[in-house]
Amino acid sequence: MAVPGIGDAVSRTEDQRFLTGRGNYVDDITLEGQVYALVLRSPEAHARIVSIDVSEALALSGVLLIVTGEDWQREGFGHIPTKSAVRTNRDGSPIAEPPRHCLAMDRVRFVGEPVALVVAETAEVAASALALIEVDYESLPAVVDPVAALADGAPQLWDDIPNNLCADFELGDAAATDAAFAEADHVIAIDIANNRVTAVPIEPRGAIARYDADSDSFELYNATQNVHANRDTFAEQVLGIDKRKLRQIAPDVGGGFGVKNGVYPEPALILYAARQLRRPVKWINTRSESFLADTHGREQISKVELALRADGTFLALRTTTTGNIGAFCWTVGPFTPTGGSARTQGGPYAIGAMHYQAKAVFTNTQPLDPYRGAGRPEASFQIERVIELAARELGFDPVELRRKNLIPRAALPLRTPMGLEVDCGDFPQVFERTLAMSDRGGFAERVAASRARGRLRGFAIAPYLECTGGAPNEYAGITFTADGLIELAVGSQSTGMGHETSMPQILAARLGVPLEDIRYVQGDTDATPIGGGHGGSRNLEVGGNAVAQAADEVIDKGKAIAAHLFGTPLDRVSFEDGRFLVPQTNHVLTMPEVAVASLDPGRLPEDLQPGCLNTGSTFARSAIVVPNGCHAAEVEVDPQTGIIEIVGYWVVDDFGTIVNPLLCDGQVMGGIAQGIGQALLEHAVYDADSGQLLTATLLDYALPRAGDIPDMAIEYYEGAPTEKNPLGVKGAGEAGCCGAPPAVVNAVLDAIKESGVTNIDMPLKPEKVWRAIEDARRAG
Amino acid sequence: MATLTLTVNGKPVSAQAEANTLLVEFLRETLGLTGTHVGCDTSQCGACVVHLDGLAVKSCTMLALQAEGTEVTTIEGLAPPGSLHPMQVAFHQNHGLQCGFCTPGMVMASVALVTDNPNPSEPEVRQGLAGNLCRCTGYQNIVKSVIAGARAMER
Repeated sequence: MAVPGIGDAVSRTEDQRFLTGRGNYVDDITLEGQVYALVLRSPEAHARIVSIDVSEALALSGVLLIVTGEDWQREGFGHIPTKSAVRTNRDGSPIAEPPRHCLAMDRVRFVGEPVALVVAETAEVAASALALIEVDYESLPAVVDPVAALADGAPQLWDDIPNNLCADFELGDAAATDAAFAEADHVIAIDIANNRVTAVPIEPRGAIARYDADSDSFELYNATQNVHANRDTFAEQVLGIDKRKLRQIAPDVGGGFGVKNGVYPEPALILYAARQLRRPVKWINTRSESFLADTHGREQISKVELALRADGTFLALRTTTTGNIGAFCWTVGPFTPTGGSARTQGGPYAIGAMHYQAKAVFTNTQPLDPYRGAGRPEASFQIERVIELAARELGFDPVELRRKNLIPRAALPLRTPMGLEVDCGDFPQVFERTLAMSDRGGFAERVAASRARGRLRGFAIAPYLECTGGAPNEYAGITFTADGLIELAVGSQSTGMGHETSMPQILAARLGVPLEDIRYVQGDTDATPIGGGHGGSRNLEVGGNAVAQAADEVIDKGKAIAAHLFGTPLDRVSFEDGRFLVPQTNHVLTMPEVAVASLDPGRLPEDLQPGCLNTGSTFARSAIVVPNGCHAAEVEVDPQTGIIEIVGYWVVDDFGTIVNPLLCDGQVMGGIAQGIGQALLEHAVYDADSGQLLTATLLDYALPRAGDIPDMAIEYYEGAPTEKNPLGVKGAGEAGCCGAPPAVVNAVLDAIKESGVTNIDMPLKPEKVWRAIEDARRAG
Repeated sequence: MATLTLTVNGKPVSAQAEANTLLVEFLRETLGLTGTHVGCDTSQCGACVVHLDGLAVKSCTMLALQAEGTEVTTIEGLAPPGSLHPMQVAFHQNHGLQCGFCTPGMVMASVALVTDNPNPSEPEVRQGLAGNLCRCTGYQNIVKSVIAGARAMER
């Protein structure tokens, strides 16, 4: 059994059960005596609840419990708080955080808002009961567009929140930016929309709650990305129970992408129902329900202005954006269009002054919360779209204009005008490598070949700058068991990224043991004292470093045991390649040998107890890290149909140290696919009048299929591991979503540039592309 | 209720099923074969693909009673216990899965695809898997897995 190293392409441990149908997702769990819950959701975008009559539904045989907002209020349960890192407006006043209850009280504010919970002996009976609940709604005017919602006279979601304004945010130096604009030779401005999308993990959300009356305690199996924080909120803020009485377990989770990170009402509702009924309660969303019940992402309407000198040097950037956050703040919703998009403004370019202004706005739509990237893809799109337009309008080569303005390596470390500490990297080298991969030399010939077939070919390059986020601390616990295994428990958790392989790989490499000796534990509030869940590309950065730190503590303790067994002073013992040894002697003990000794009181020094090698260690992030990279895309457009084909895709990423390139490739590919989906296919569309979600099934919401995503050529730049953490890692999960939309959209606009079209809002569906070309042609 | 008799993963099965029970529900709930997944309600995602008399079917698109007398293979029965089908090995080696939720349907659809077309080109694989959604992998490693799996199945 080989010992893996950092950087080895180790294939995954968890594959075995996933490939043989032995994965254990929430819907696969059946508890003795379980009953079934369904949620009655609002069919109205905005309405007053006049009355709810549950009598007929309750009379149905097999119906066990119906809970309405009135019941919830009577129980005195709390609302779900917002934990947005942005808490104040630009004038210092607090942002608006209206209460979000698990069930609507007297008013509904979006289609899909939970109105009642029904629990029955079977799911079929619960579904029948849902249809028998009579809710009398008095419709109110609805608004779904965030710009319209800000206007005077727009429908008001909250009586005490004028103009539906949740947060009014700014970052950067307005005066310096204004001054730079005043002195600029050129000012280029573009109006763009970043389309609303939704994550659609293939496993819908669901949970099972069990209550044990004897101990007055709960178990919750939940398809979540974040067991600890959600447990705390359900227990302390909503239900008012001791959090030690609530154990939350995330079994195998079928994809998350941010959308399973937030705090949703359904698990709290079924915890309550399980206690009321003294029976386990299971709830599983259908896919169509998921479109109405899972948070959405993106949706910003922005004006981006770039000030340039005559020679193309960037002087200043001004971004003014309106972010839709839906009807409530949800978990951290207001942060995405404000702080989330602000930090990486300007990307990897040297821009002397920047000013970012954002309004987060309530509308009668499904609330928005982080979706893979959460603000950084929007920022990347903003800068890259305005640069592309600047090149076009001012007659610069888009590649040259970017190359000219990239932050040079020698300028690092620096603090951007947005306050982001960029410590290391080599943006020009990453850019040139990407360009080299894309065979620019052969491009003219390919353009001609495409043209001969009636196709238009275009190219774009899109360097990006990213940053990690999420909870700053993570815990790793290492336990040596009598059967010779090493149990590794980490507070973060995989929803597909492969922690079960990558985290043990770090430990195995550090301790010099084979992967087979390590048993991995995750997704259980009882297994680790703290845990930050998954979000902000944080696992390798915070969790991985927690593992490395804990491993180093094990080695230090192991040295003390080895010194005792060798009968040598501690300072003479060293640890190399999995062995404790005294150089120039025959004193050698392997890690497993020391582990065995650590459980044997007869072989330990007096001051150490059996089990002394076990370690729990918390890694605290000192500063967020800055992944970066560069994407390039080549596309073919059929001007007769507007159909786009991505014919080439190249990316070079700087994620610092690459722990497992196989898994890292998977993260990049998946992120790019979601970025391409946003660029070309996906759009969550609301009807402006009724507030109905028009794309509420997989028939209507276009998720990319195998034929929609090209092969991607991926390379890594490993010349600049960060010194912000011991492993030197920078986080990989969200980068693909940042680079892909601008690369693809700019490549399409390059292909059709002769038409004069300079902007098409995402998604670039064939009809939109065809119409844009036709409209431009007719306009002459 | 009616009695449904069929063969599942090589074993004869006889059990009660309601007239409106879907095949996927019968497999998951009556037989406890939870490897077959439900990812949607419009027959788009393909997480529920099984083999019915050797053909790939979405088990959410047919009633359990329609499977009377057929031979059904689910992901649990694709290879003898303790071993892996060459397609499963290929998915493992090529990192053709992440969260694993679409994987059973993806593997079953891939095996049927290759049975039908033993040496598929990359476009043929992409076209052949149009009925199976994956949100994690971007499909590239799935396509690679299927082509590698096809070669291994030939041997």
